[in-house]
Amino acid sequence: MTKLKLTLFIAFQLFYLNAKSQDILVEAESFIDKGGWVVDPQFVEQMGSPYLMAHGMGVPVSNAATKVNFQEKGTYYVWARTKNWVPGNWEAPGQFKIIVNGKTLKNTLGVTTGWSWEYAGKVKINSNDVNIQLLDLTGFNGRCDAIYFSKSKKIPTDAETNLASWRKTKFGETTVPKKQKTYDLVITGGGLAGCAAAISAAEQGLHVALIHDRPVLGGNASEEIRVHTLGIYGKFKRILKMIDTKHYPNGSFEAKYDQEKRDRNVKNFKNIDLFLNWRAYDAKAKNNIITHVDARHTTTGERIRFTAPRFVDSTGDGWIGFWAGAKFSYGRESASTYGEAWDEWGELWSPEKADNFVMGSSVLWQNKKTNKAHAFPQLPWASSVAKDHKAIAGEWYWEFSRNDLHQINDAEEIRDHMLRAIFGSFANAKKMEENKNYKLQWVSYLVGKRESRRLLGDYIYTFNDVKKHTKFKDAVVEEVREVDVHYQRNLKDGKQPDFLSEAIFYETEKYYIPYRSLYSKNIKNLFMAGRNFSCSHVGLGGPRVMLTTGQMGAAVGLAATICKKYGVNPREVYTNYLQEYLNLIEKQQ
Amino acid sequence: MFFNMNDEWKNIAKEKTIFKFLVASLDTTYNIKIAHDVKLLLDTKDTPKLFFSDIETPVCADGECKLANIKVYWNLLGNYVGYGIDSQLPLTKFEHDPFEKADYKKLHQLLLDDNSILKRRQMSDLIDEVPTANANQLLENVDAVSGATKREVKEAVVKGGLYSCYTIWHIVHGEVKQKISAYFRSIHSEKLNNYLLNSPYKDYQLYAIKQLDKEKFEASSAQVIKIFKTNDAVTRHYILKKIPNKLLSNKIISNQLYSLFSSIDINSRTLLIEKLKDANLNAVKILSKYVTYMTKNQLKQYLKYLKGTSKKTRRSIKSNLIKASNHKSYAYNYLIKEFLKNKK
Repeated sequence: MTKLKLTLFIAFQLFYLNAKSQDILVEAESFIDKGGWVVDPQFVEQMGSPYLMAHGMGVPVSNAATKVNFQEKGTYYVWARTKNWVPGNWEAPGQFKIIVNGKTLKNTLGVTTGWSWEYAGKVKINSNDVNIQLLDLTGFNGRCDAIYFSKSKKIPTDAETNLASWRKTKFGETTVPKKQKTYDLVITGGGLAGCAAAISAAEQGLHVALIHDRPVLGGNASEEIRVHTLGIYGKFKRILKMIDTKHYPNGSFEAKYDQEKRDRNVKNFKNIDLFLNWRAYDAKAKNNIITHVDARHTTTGERIRFTAPRFVDSTGDGWIGFWAGAKFSYGRESASTYGEAWDEWGELWSPEKADNFVMGSSVLWQNKKTNKAHAFPQLPWASSVAKDHKAIAGEWYWEFSRNDLHQINDAEEIRDHMLRAIFGSFANAKKMEENKNYKLQWVSYLVGKRESRRLLGDYIYTFNDVKKHTKFKDAVVEEVREVDVHYQRNLKDGKQPDFLSEAIFYETEKYYIPYRSLYSKNIKNLFMAGRNFSCSHVGLGGPRVMLTTGQMGAAVGLAATICKKYGVNPREVYTNYLQEYLNLIEKQQ
Repeated sequence: MFFNMNDEWKNIAKEKTIFKFLVASLDTTYNIKIAHDVKLLLDTKDTPKLFFSDIETPVCADGECKLANIKVYWNLLGNYVGYGIDSQLPLTKFEHDPFEKADYKKLHQLLLDDNSILKRRQMSDLIDEVPTANANQLLENVDAVSGATKREVKEAVVKGGLYSCYTIWHIVHGEVKQKISAYFRSIHSEKLNNYLLNSPYKDYQLYAIKQLDKEKFEASSAQVIKIFKTNDAVTRHYILKKIPNKLLSNKIISNQLYSLFSSIDINSRTLLIEKLKDANLNAVKILSKYVTYMTKNQLKQYLKYLKGTSKKTRRSIKSNLIKASNHKSYAYNYLIKEFLKNKK
C-alpha cells in the first residue's frame, strides 16, 4: 500500500466534488503520490489535459495513489479517461486497473481506441475518506487522464462530446485566471533559447518570467531528452556556457551533470521568476499586441495570467504566436519559392512543389550492460513497427516523420510510434545471445522535435543566406556548423524501417542570422527564438541546433532591454536603435 | 568486376574522351594533383551509355604504398555504378596484403553509398597521426571522433583498407560527378530522355519524368504509371505532385493509379487521398475497397471528402464502408461507424 503524504499535498490536488455529492471528477495528474507513474503534459492541446503514464520500460510501475473526500456514501459507478495506445490484433499494451479503498475494480482499462471514458466498474463507498490507486499491469505506457465517480449509471453526454467545457464547469473554472502577474518580459519555453533569453534580459536588469512545462530546463538538451548542444557560441559564450552541454553521446546519462549546472545557473538570477511545470495554454492579442499569456500548472491545475509589454515565444512549436494570431509557415516550400534547390539531392532537399513534409521527431534511449541475463518480452504490438530491425540503443537518426502526421497535432502518435520502434527493436536484439545481459536503462517519453511551425518575421531566413554568407547589418547570430536536412530512409528504400532518417549535409563557412528573423512580422510585441524563428524549411537546416538557438535567445533578451529602455517594440530596435543594440551585443563577449 | 546495371558495360562500341578531372593526392608531403581522363562510352547506335575513367592513385601519404588502379563506371547522371580491377594490379590493404573477394564487394557497397560517413570526414579525423605506411591500420584511439562514428566507419570500410577506401570514395564522389552531370545536360535530348524514361533504372526514370512538360507527360502516361508501380516513394510523390489534372481525371489513368493503393507506401497513399478532388469520380469508389489500409488521418481525410460527394456516390460505396466498419482488426472502424450513423 502506497504511503500518502497528505498533509503536504492535499492543497494542490485537483478534483471536483459536486455540491449534491452525486459525482466526483479526479484529475490523474494531480494524484498526491504519483508512484512510478509520470506526468505527461505534452499533448494537452490535442487531448485536453496532462495525464499519468506508466512508463516502466516493460516493468509494471508502482501504484499512483491519492485520497479524496466523498461527502456522500453509497454505490458509485467509475470511469477512467484513457486509451489503448496501440489498437490492433494483440493484447493492448497499456493496461491498468483502478483500486478504490483497497478493492480492485472489475474492468481492465486502457483497451479502447482513442481517448475516451472507459467504464471501470462500480464500488460501494462506506467512508468519507476514499483512497484511489492506479495499478499498472504491463509497464508499457498505460495512461490515465482522469477518473470520474458518479451515482448515475451513465457517463454525462457532455463529458464525451464537450469535454473541455464540461471540465471547466466541474472545476468552476473562470475565463480569467484569478492570479495575475506582471513582468518586463514573459518567456515561454525553457529550452536553450528560452534560458538564454531569460539570462541575457535578467543580466540587464529586466524582471523576467520563464514559463516551462517540465521540472527541468533545457528542452531537447535536458536530461529528459538528452541531445547534446551543437554549434558555436557566437557573441554569447559567457551566457551559453551556463546552460550548454558537453559533447556526450546523444542519450547518455551524462546529460544530468549539465542539467544540474543549467538549472542552478538560471535559478541563481533573482530577477528571473522560474515557473517550472507550468504550461502556457493561451495567449491573446488586441490590435496585434499580445496582452497576456495564460498558463496552467501541469499537476495542480492552478492558473496564472502573465502580463507584460513584450513576450518571447521559445516554445519550439510557436504556440504563443499561433494563439495570438502570428503569421507562420509549416512544411516544405517549393524549391523555386526562395531558390533553395540543390540538384544533387533534388526532391529530398527541396521539392519542386511545396508539401507538408517536415523533419521528424526523435525519442532517444539507452541500454545498460549488466553481469546477468535479463529477459525482455516479444511484443507483437511493437514488432509491427520494428519489423526485423535490431538495436540496443538509439541515436539522432531514430526519427519519425510521415506526411499524414502533423508534428504538433499528431505528436502523441509520433511519440508512441517511436516507443514501438524502440521496444520492438530491443526485443529483436534480445533474441541474440550476445545481448542477453543488456537491459533497458532509459527510454525518453518526451518527443524531441526538430521542426514544426515557423513564425514569420520581417525577414525569412533561407538557405541562400547560408550559401552567400550574407553579412546582414543586423546580424546577431553567427554559425559555422554545416546545414543538415533530414529525410526518412524509407523514401528511397522501401525496405528500410520507417523510423530511421538520413541527413544531407551542406558544408559551409560562417553564416549570419539577422535580428529581423527574431520578431514577428504582424504581432508587434512578440519575439521568437529557437526552432520557431522566421525561416524556410531548408533555412532551418543549420540554425536549429541548440547553441545557435541559444544565441537567438540571448540576442532577443538584449533586444528586450532596448525595448524597455525606450518603450518601443521589437521592430523599432532595428529601425531606430540598431547600433546601440549591436554595441550591447559586443559587450557580451 | 562489380556492376550495378544490367550489361551496359558489355555493349560498348565507341568511346570518347570528354574531359579531365583533377584529384589532389592525400600525400601531404608532395601535395600533387593527378589528372584523369573521363570517357563517354557509346553503343553501336551512338547512344551514350556510361562514363568511365581508368584511375591510378597513390594510397599512402608518404608515397611508399602501392598505387591503386581502378576502372570506375558512372551512369549518365554521374552516379557510381561499378568498377573493375586489372587482375595483375590488385588493390592492397595493411602491409600490402591484397584485397580479398569479400573486400572488393565491400568496396562496391561503400562506393554505392553517395552519402557515406566518409563524405564529411577529413582523413586526419580518422587516423591518429600523419599517414604512414601503416595508415591502413584502423583507428582505435582517436579522440577526434565519437564512438558512434568509429563504429560506422568500421562498418563501412574494408578492414585494414581505410586509406584505400577513403581515397577511392572521394575520387569517385568528387568533382567528377558534377562535371559528368554538366556534360550530360549539354548533350541531353528528347531521344536521350526517352531512353532514360524507358530504362529499368530508378534514377534515370525520375530524371526523365522531371524533364517532361504537360503534353509529354500525358503522352508518356503508360510508362509513367509503370514507373509509379515499381519506383521508390520519392519518385511516386513526384509523379503525384506533377500529374496534370486532365490526366488524373481520366477514368483509365485514375483507375490504374488508385488500384495500386494497397501496394504502395503510406506517404503516397496520403497524396492519392489528397488528390481525390482532381481525380476521376471512380477513384472514390476504388478507395472504398481499401479503407482498412488507411491510417487514422487518411481515413478522416477520406471521410471528410466523402461528405462533399453526392448521395449517389455515397450509396455506391456504402456496402464497402459497412464491410470496413465491421472489420474487427481495423483499429479505426469506429470512425466509419460514426460516419455511417451521421449519414443516416
